[in-house]
Amino acid sequence: MRNKIKWLSKSLIVGLSALSVSAFADDTPKIKVEQVHKDLKNPWDMAFLDNDTMFFTEKCDGLSVATKDGVNKLYGMKGSKGYPSAGEDLFCEGQAGMLGLAIDPNFKKNRMIYVASTSNKHHGDGCKDNKDVCNGNIVMKFKVSEDFKSVSERNDIITDIQYKPFESDHPFGGPGAHNGARLRFDKQGALWVTGGDRHKGDCPQSPTLICGKVLRVDTDGNAWKGNKPPKGFDKRIYTYGHRSVQGIAFHPKKNQVFTAEHGPWHNDEITLLQNGKNGGWDPAPNVGGRGDCPDDYCGYMPNQKEGMDPAVRGAFTPMSDTRFKDLMYPTWNNMGLSQGTGSAAFLTGKQWGKWENRLVVGVMGIAFGDTPAGARIDVIDLTDDGKAIRGVITMPMGFSERFRGLTMGPDGALYAAVDEGKIYKITAE
Amino acid sequence: MINKSFFVLKLITLSCALSLSSYAGDAAIGEKKFKEKNCVTCHGPKGMGLASYPRIGGKEISYLTKRLETYRAGKKVGSNSDLMIMNAKKLSDEDIADLTAYLSEQNFD
Repeated sequence: MRNKIKWLSKSLIVGLSALSVSAFADDTPKIKVEQVHKDLKNPWDMAFLDNDTMFFTEKCDGLSVATKDGVNKLYGMKGSKGYPSAGEDLFCEGQAGMLGLAIDPNFKKNRMIYVASTSNKHHGDGCKDNKDVCNGNIVMKFKVSEDFKSVSERNDIITDIQYKPFESDHPFGGPGAHNGARLRFDKQGALWVTGGDRHKGDCPQSPTLICGKVLRVDTDGNAWKGNKPPKGFDKRIYTYGHRSVQGIAFHPKKNQVFTAEHGPWHNDEITLLQNGKNGGWDPAPNVGGRGDCPDDYCGYMPNQKEGMDPAVRGAFTPMSDTRFKDLMYPTWNNMGLSQGTGSAAFLTGKQWGKWENRLVVGVMGIAFGDTPAGARIDVIDLTDDGKAIRGVITMPMGFSERFRGLTMGPDGALYAAVDEGKIYKITAE
Repeated sequence: MINKSFFVLKLITLSCALSLSSYAGDAAIGEKKFKEKNCVTCHGPKGMGLASYPRIGGKEISYLTKRLETYRAGKKVGSNSDLMIMNAKKLSDEDIADLTAYLSEQNFD
């Protein structure tokens, strides 16, 4: 009997130990965070050619490239210093400036890169007031010199993305609001351009105004064959009905593209895009049960000058309005809060362990009303169909900053640009 | 005697009022409040200015105080004023003194 008890307890101990090992021996990566650049002026986006060559933009300064020999300034904006050439038409104002960046998939052959910026070159007769059509956000294409010290052959391939030229009666009412402007190439070689509503109520649902849209175009800015916008819509449009999309990322293994969209004091959203469909943002007055709104934009209503329950505000002007039959329901909505989603990328490579192929989203942190600031990088485990999440955790960075730009490096590290003027390299070990 | 007591009381009241209005602010407490009240979220570490939010660190106390008092009174100064009005409404005189004492000490050279 005694021997039997001894044997049983031994077995139990061995069994429990094995259980506890299997429960804790998962492959969650340990991460190492290292600052690789500092003293930058609002770094916004990054694009890697190889381990030694990273292009980056600074919102009010211009385009540069970091090489193993140091940083070379390439193309500046009006008033910026130290650049070999500059666009006098390029300016920054509020949230607008030199923003997204992408490298041509055929760079080795053609040496082309693409940059989004605010410009006054294509205003034409527009931009007289906030209700006017104002072509003020553009996408430029440049040729990079062999020594990576200059760019040439500027070609403005998209010139009619809308810009907000004046102040309006809204909490974030300054000019330059909601530009989107993240640029990314997919595996097929299409260039994706994200947009914002620029505080114009009729923008996101308009078939022709390029604002509140996600565009899919070729390297000359023409509509990508296969875009299926509704009848009468501009053919460059892949999806419409967006508020302010600053993040876009392509699943490394599946044919899925996701956006990260900044909400209006409620519902930051991650959305699985569907060709030609509607994000459901419609801040226009006198629709959806609403009346007039300040300056014809209901994006912060009701009670736009005070904090209030985000759910009540969300019911008034929903981020994803279910009255649209072609609505893309969001994959995730940040628990109904808006804390400012900025950029998105997928973690690729075995080194990321169980995080491999998970979506990372930079959150910049906004603390209005009773919403906690929440600046962080989220790691999101998406369901196989991309329409929901299995879970979300915060990447353990050890600090909170405004995570504006995220991109994977060719070295398998995640790079994060923060508004505080730094770029971090985040390595999985 | 009554007149004398009244005079002393008046003197005490006056000196209290004077000491409140001339409260210099405590920069260390101001630093704490700058974080607790989420000013840092938009204006950045030491008020360096981030994204579309202006640099407020290193500005003079008189300028910062005037701005905060204006916002607290619900008056607009430039674009995005509504955000500052919303936040400044909750500030006491002491908060403003502490915050401005902290911010005015910052240097970005």
